Parts: sequence; C-alpha cells; structure tokens
Amino acid sequence: MNKRTTPWLLLAPALLIAGLYVLFPVAQALSMSLHYVNLFHPRTRPFVGLTNYLNALSDPVFWRSLFNSFIWVFGSVSMQFLLGFGAALLLNRSFAWRGVARALVIVPWALPSVIIGLIWTWMLDFNLGIVNALGTRLGLISSPIAWLSRPDTAMVAVMLAVVWQGFPFFAVTLLAGLQGIPAELYEAASLDGASTAGKFWHVTLPGLASVIATALLLRMIWVANSLDLILVMTGGGPGTATLTLPLHAMLTAWSGGNYGKGSALAVILTLILLGGMIFSLLGKRKQ
Amino acid sequence: MKRRTLLKAAGAAAAIGLTQRLYAFPNKPATVRWWYHFDDPKASPDGLIAEFEKANPTIRIHAQSIPWGGGSDYDTRLYTALIANHGPDTAMVKLRNLPQLVEMEVLLPIDQYLDGWPGKSDISDAIWKLHVAADGKHYYLPLQYITTYLYLRQDWFQKEGLQTPKTLSDFLTAARALTGTDRWGFGLRGDSGGVDFWCTFVIGGGAEFLKGELSTPAALAANQWYIDLYRKNKVCPPSSPTDGFLQTINNMKAGRTAMTIHHIGSANQLTQELGDSITAVPVPCGPAGKAWSTYGDGSNAIFANCVNPEAAWRWISYLSSAPANVAFNKLAGQMTVTTSGAKDWNLHPKRFVDATTQSLASARTLPLVEQTADFVRTVWPQTNQEELLGQAAPDDAMRKFEQIFFP
Repeated sequence: MNKRTTPWLLLAPALLIAGLYVLFPVAQALSMSLHYVNLFHPRTRPFVGLTNYLNALSDPVFWRSLFNSFIWVFGSVSMQFLLGFGAALLLNRSFAWRGVARALVIVPWALPSVIIGLIWTWMLDFNLGIVNALGTRLGLISSPIAWLSRPDTAMVAVMLAVVWQGFPFFAVTLLAGLQGIPAELYEAASLDGASTAGKFWHVTLPGLASVIATALLLRMIWVANSLDLILVMTGGGPGTATLTLPLHAMLTAWSGGNYGKGSALAVILTLILLGGMIFSLLGKRKQ
Repeated sequence: MKRRTLLKAAGAAAAIGLTQRLYAFPNKPATVRWWYHFDDPKASPDGLIAEFEKANPTIRIHAQSIPWGGGSDYDTRLYTALIANHGPDTAMVKLRNLPQLVEMEVLLPIDQYLDGWPGKSDISDAIWKLHVAADGKHYYLPLQYITTYLYLRQDWFQKEGLQTPKTLSDFLTAARALTGTDRWGFGLRGDSGGVDFWCTFVIGGGAEFLKGELSTPAALAANQWYIDLYRKNKVCPPSSPTDGFLQTINNMKAGRTAMTIHHIGSANQLTQELGDSITAVPVPCGPAGKAWSTYGDGSNAIFANCVNPEAAWRWISYLSSAPANVAFNKLAGQMTVTTSGAKDWNLHPKRFVDATTQSLASARTLPLVEQTADFVRTVWPQTNQEELLGQAAPDDAMRKFEQIFFP
C-alpha cells in the first residue's frame, strides 16, 4: 500500500455507503424527473426531457407552493430563533430548578412531528379545541375561530406548531454556545463600563455568531424539507393556503402517482436549497 | 405445419396451461400472501385463518395488516409493491383502484372461478353490477360494502316538527331550522373524503359524470347550491372546509351538528354516544328525483403474479361465503355482502342496516377511470376548499372537473 491509495481505501466504506444511500437516490430522482414515470402506467417510461420541469413551472400551484415555502421557512425559523435565543439566555442564568427547566425545554423537540401535528390540530379545533374554549372564556376572542380552515389563519396556525416544535433546538444549541463564551470577556466589558445591552451586543452576539449561523442554516434546510406537520394538520389546505413545495412534490408523486413531475419538483426544491446554502457559505467565508 | 395451425396449437396449449394453472390445484403445500386492513387495529383475522387452514391443510395464509393512511397509503404501497414484483398474491382492494390495477395489468380475471362458485348467488345482483370492470370482466370478489346515508338527530327533528328530508329542498329547510347558536344544521366534510358529500348534492342535484354533463346549467346550479350551504345559508360549521371524518363525527357526538353523511361503519360509536336520538335515512333526492349514495366496497383480488391462484381463490371465496363473511365483517364493522348473512345481521342497530340496504338502490361509484384517484385525493379537496372560501368561482370549478374527466 502506498501513500496515495491508503486514504482512498480507508475512505472506501464511507464513500460506498454515501454512494448507495445518497448519490444513487439523487441520480434516480434526476433520471425520473426527465422521464414520464407514472405509477398507473408502469410499463412505459419514455424520456421526456424537461417536460416535467416545464409542466411544474407552468402550474400556478407550483408558484403558490413556492411562495408558501418562503413564508413557512423564514417566518417559522425566525420565530423559532427568537424564542430559542430568549430561552437560551434565560436558561443560562442561575435560578432554582434550572436543571429541570433545561430538561423540560427539550420535550417538544423530542416528540415526533405527527404527534405534535395531532396535538395542535385538536388544540386548534373549531368546536372542541382548547384554544377557542380558553380564548372565548377569557374574552380574548368574541367567538370561536376556525384556525385551520381559514386561509388567513391556517399558515399562522401550522407555523405556531412548528415554532413550538423547533425552538428547543435553538435554545439548546445557543445555550451550549453561551457557555462557551469566556466569563473574562464579560468581566472586561464590565470594567470598561459596558451596560447589559452593550455586553449583549459586543460580547454575546459576536461570541455566538458562528453557532447562530450554523444553527440557522441547518434549521432552515430541515424546515424547508419538512412536510409531516403540515400534512397532518391541514394537508396543504384550505385550498392551497398551506401547500409548501415539498408537500406539493409529495402529493404529486405519492397521491397522484406522477413520479416524474414529483421528482422534478423535488429537484427544483433541492436546487433552491443548494443555492441558498452556497450563498450562505460564501457569505460566511467572506466574513 | 402451416402458420395458422401452429398458432392454433400454441393457443390451445396456452389455454390448457392456463386452465391447469387455474383449476388443477396441487395437493402440495401452498402459501397465500394476503394484505388486508381493518379500521380497528385491534381486530385480527387469526380466527378465520385458523378455521380455513384446518379445512384446507395444504394451504397456509400469510396475512399482513397494511396501514390505511386514509386509503392513499394502502393504495400506493400496493401499487409500488406490485410494480416491484414484491406484491402479495391477493389483497383487499377497493373499486376505486380497479382502473389503475387493470391499466397496470396486474389483476387476474376471476370469471372462470365465479362460474362454478356456489356462493355467487348469495351476493345480490345490485352488488355484482357494480363490480364489473370496463372490459366486462370480473377481477374483484365482493367482501364487504357500505352505502352512504344521512345521519340525523331525530330528537331535534321531532322537537322542531320537521319531517325526514326526502328532497334537497326539505334538507335545506331542516338544516336552516336546526341551525342556531353553536349548532349547525349540517356537518359538511371539506377534506378528501368529502367528495361523497359533494356527489350527494351535485351529482344527485343534476350533474352527471358524462361528457358535457358536469357543466350544464343544472349541474352548475347544483354545485352553487352545495357551496351556498356553507357560504350563503351558513348551515355548516365554519371549520367545514378542512373538516374530515373525525371532525364531522365528533361534531355529531358533541351535539354541534344535526345532520351529516357517513355510513354504517360509524353507527355504533354514534349510538353509543347519542342512543336513540340518532338515526339514519337514505340521502335526499335532487330536483329530478335522482339521488347519489356512494357505494363503498371492500373486495379481494388475485394478482397476476400469484404463484398459486387456485389456493388464493379458495381463501378469498371462503371469506366471501357466509358464515365466514359475517364473521369477517363483524371484525371489519361493515356490512356483509351475503344475502343469507344479512338476514340475521345484529352487529348494528336495525335502523342503520335498513338505511344501508335502502340506499343500495341509488348506490353508485365515482367513474372507474384513472383520473379518479388524483381527483379524489388532490384536485377535488383543493378546489372545493377554494370554492367554499370564495377563492374560486363554483362554475369555474365545475368546468375544471369536466376538463379533468373529459379532456
């Protein structure tokens, strides 16, 4: 064995697994997106070039789902981040039962999305949900609201559920980052006469910058890809009010049997995410 | 040998081979892989399997419960397994699958078996008529059935002095009278399963699944009438556009709605909650005297890749014969397809059984064409919800449906 082949031999098992489980499905999706692949006509699979892409792009539902995806990703991730950051700052302070609070905050993150979807669906139920019951009894709303059936509230309602599910990720990640900032920096800032806001702005935020960037990037990719919560809570409805791009791709392939167009939609989503990721990493490198 | 003679000989040999494959059941051990689904996950067909295997010692049944997922999960799992050549020998299927499975060329016709099967006459002609494929062949053996009917709170009807609605006009009068504070006359289902509701009012009201018949003035008026139940007359809960089975049934249980549409599968749970206050009647008729009750079947089909179709036939014909069919449907919570079994049916209160059998006269299925699956799962719910919310014009929606079925 020589110096050139040894690294490749050592990497071979990992490369093989990555090839099997990542590259092969990606190549298969790419191939399907260029063919007419319909579950109901399994014996024909003609090459159709970019037809599936053109069909997808000329469909108004695609543009609606793309718009919804942006709202879903940026709206929910920013709220998760703010809530998670607040929780991390709180949990970084000393108080009684802090250990219990730190353990409990992770609970929503640990629950399966389907369970969370069902819990929130029933909480927001028009007739029997606790949100409407409490809201009307406390006088916050004059009459029950059909949260998941109105196009103006459905997206907010599903975002509420995903924010509840996702904020612990930021809380725990940022808490770990906060504990990594040396206490000496805060002491030095205090000696220099920095206020609490000043310490936060000039010590905490720069200290957390890389953690925040990584956490935001990861969470945005996860949320952009996720569809389980919406599928359980609204199925993309009412109408297409909560239909996001991955859900549109899934329904086209899984429910409609049109795997060609579904794959084209998935490839478009991947390209968008890839573009966002490259943009983000380039920005990070410049910094 | 002449070419024609050769072809004849080859054809005869193939026919003999097929016949032998169909009828010459070997006494050597055979395993039949069967996929099934019960609404109640605790229900198990083990008892039936044990009884069958005792009577047929050379056949082993390998039964696999497949998650339902609203129907689409089960269907897609079945399609993909069959395409990948890892499908079962036989499985529970629905009529709505028939066009897809025929198109996929994965079904084995069962006409040869049916001709000599003594249980055939115990299943009513009304059911057999619905089970013929577009090519005139039988691929499905009926196992269970439901027909949709109208649930109503008879105590509230009596209190308000209302008659059981026989026409859509009666229905609207009753729905209006029964709508009040925190109570609605009709629990409308806007999610994918709600297409049965839509058919009741729109196809029963004047439209038809024929070329040009989904956009006639009568069809458009029927659809507008249906949308107005929610938008103009406000006799349905505000959550209706996304309400599914659980919401519509729970609203009935909680006394939030006075009427809704479903089938005998939910009769026991509603009776448990509401006692004699709840009853069921056939759905009301439209202006032309036409009614639509959705026929929901559960059937068994044998697949073309089945290794031993004779053994599979023995199993599925056993399940469709009384009394095994009665026992099966007591597990499934649906109606037996056997006439003899229906006589002493005691799983559900009689009034729901009567409403089910009376509804057979108007029982129909959605068109058995390949567009139906996507229409039911995606196109109809999205468009219907947009109509109910005022985001799409009802007339445009009907023209869109026409275009889908008759491009």
